Amino acid sequence: MNVEITDLTRRFGRNQAVAGVSLQAGPGVFGLLGPNGAGKTTLLRMMATVIPPTTGRLRLLDRDPGAYGPRREVRRRLGYLPQNLGYYPGFTVAEFVEYFALLKEMPAARVPAAVATAVERVDLGGMARAKLRTLSGGMLRRVGIAQAIVNEPELLLLDEPTAGLDPEQRVRFRALLREFGQRATVVVSTHLVEDVGAACSQVALMDQGKVVFDGTPGELTARGTEQGTGDAPLERGYTAVLAAARA
Amino acid sequence: MSDLRKDAPDDVDLGRVWISVAAQVWRRQPGWLERTTGRLLRSPGLARALLTTPSLLLPWLLASVVVLAAGAAATTDSGQPLVALLAPAVAAAAIAYSYGPGIDPAWELACSMAVSDRMVLLVRALAVFAVNAVLGLAASAVSASGAAAAVTFGWLIPMTAVCAFALAVATVARSANAGAAAGVAAWLIIVLSGRVASGQFAAAVTDTVLFLPYLAIGAGCVAVALYATRIPRGTL
Repeated sequence: MNVEITDLTRRFGRNQAVAGVSLQAGPGVFGLLGPNGAGKTTLLRMMATVIPPTTGRLRLLDRDPGAYGPRREVRRRLGYLPQNLGYYPGFTVAEFVEYFALLKEMPAARVPAAVATAVERVDLGGMARAKLRTLSGGMLRRVGIAQAIVNEPELLLLDEPTAGLDPEQRVRFRALLREFGQRATVVVSTHLVEDVGAACSQVALMDQGKVVFDGTPGELTARGTEQGTGDAPLERGYTAVLAAARA
Repeated sequence: MSDLRKDAPDDVDLGRVWISVAAQVWRRQPGWLERTTGRLLRSPGLARALLTTPSLLLPWLLASVVVLAAGAAATTDSGQPLVALLAPAVAAAAIAYSYGPGIDPAWELACSMAVSDRMVLLVRALAVFAVNAVLGLAASAVSASGAAAAVTFGWLIPMTAVCAFALAVATVARSANAGAAAGVAAWLIIVLSGRVASGQFAAAVTDTVLFLPYLAIGAGCVAVALYATRIPRGTL
């Protein structure tokens, strides 16, 4: 298993953002669903080794990221797209992706080809030498995805990756997710259930810091056959599970 | 592209060819300073973070100005060496502040990178003091007043040695926290030892006997850090 989480909690002052989450994920695309404030982003930030858990056990790529050496190894094999991508406006697309390739300690000789591949994969070849300050929100999102995949990560963590993408780009992005899911563990946090239905083989639904459902998209859909509201079957499953958890 | 693919021979992978071309066209040529720093630090990523992160350049310069200006003021106006003991904290704070969520827009991403953000901070601190020590030495050589020499030998060189020690401990222990703690502890021990030996807190920055050991410690610790961070030949 590339991700093993046991009783993980994270507290910010009095606020319990993640309250005892246990999950496992191997290769494939893992969808993390939930309403705003459910704890998805906090869980993803812990998996990205940005913040440590308050309590609980976290193993990534068969390593304990709590120790410096293993954490560095995990980070070399990690791709992370934060919810709010900060960027340097004066960098070009290629420079930005290259910068993070170097910070991931990729061998310098491999970096130029890796940058070109990542930029092409997100369909930004024509903008590779454009300054980031000139790009639209959707293009910046794709730049963020490019830096996340530049090192061919074994663990790819994406927080709201399709926010700002147009429908055509979302379709292409889902194909990219499925491609990566063949050989890596991809965890996608989103509140767009159609992304999960189209690309994920496993899905967890979070609410108030806890996982209230863990299964396949088909199983989630099945939970909405008798109750639940929404236009699509998966949406009905989503609302039915949430309603049951809050009852 | 699809037309080209249709016309291309079967054994030619146009996608791979294009990636090779794009890699060369988009490739950024690092300057000599970045290349040299990358070789010295055995880490192109660390060199890039040290030299080219846009949000860090201004604080870097500000820290240098603070070190030199405050040092000059401390020695020429007040003549109080105790100021020299405390003032490096101002520069250290400027360096620390240059690497955080308030200044660096890509802070969240940087926190998930293999090149530790704290290691970048330690190297930056060392660079600030080392560069200023070199500047101070140059100023001492051409200045007749002695103020530049006082700043250089009584302040910049000891702080360079302390930063180099912190960096060496951090790289050997593979923990930036351990390095920072060791650096602070070492400085406290030096200051307190000076107090015990001479009865003066300021002995650590006024006793000329310590200058050569400081230089030796700095050079030795840099050598240790370079050895600990080496990566296999041919990967740079």
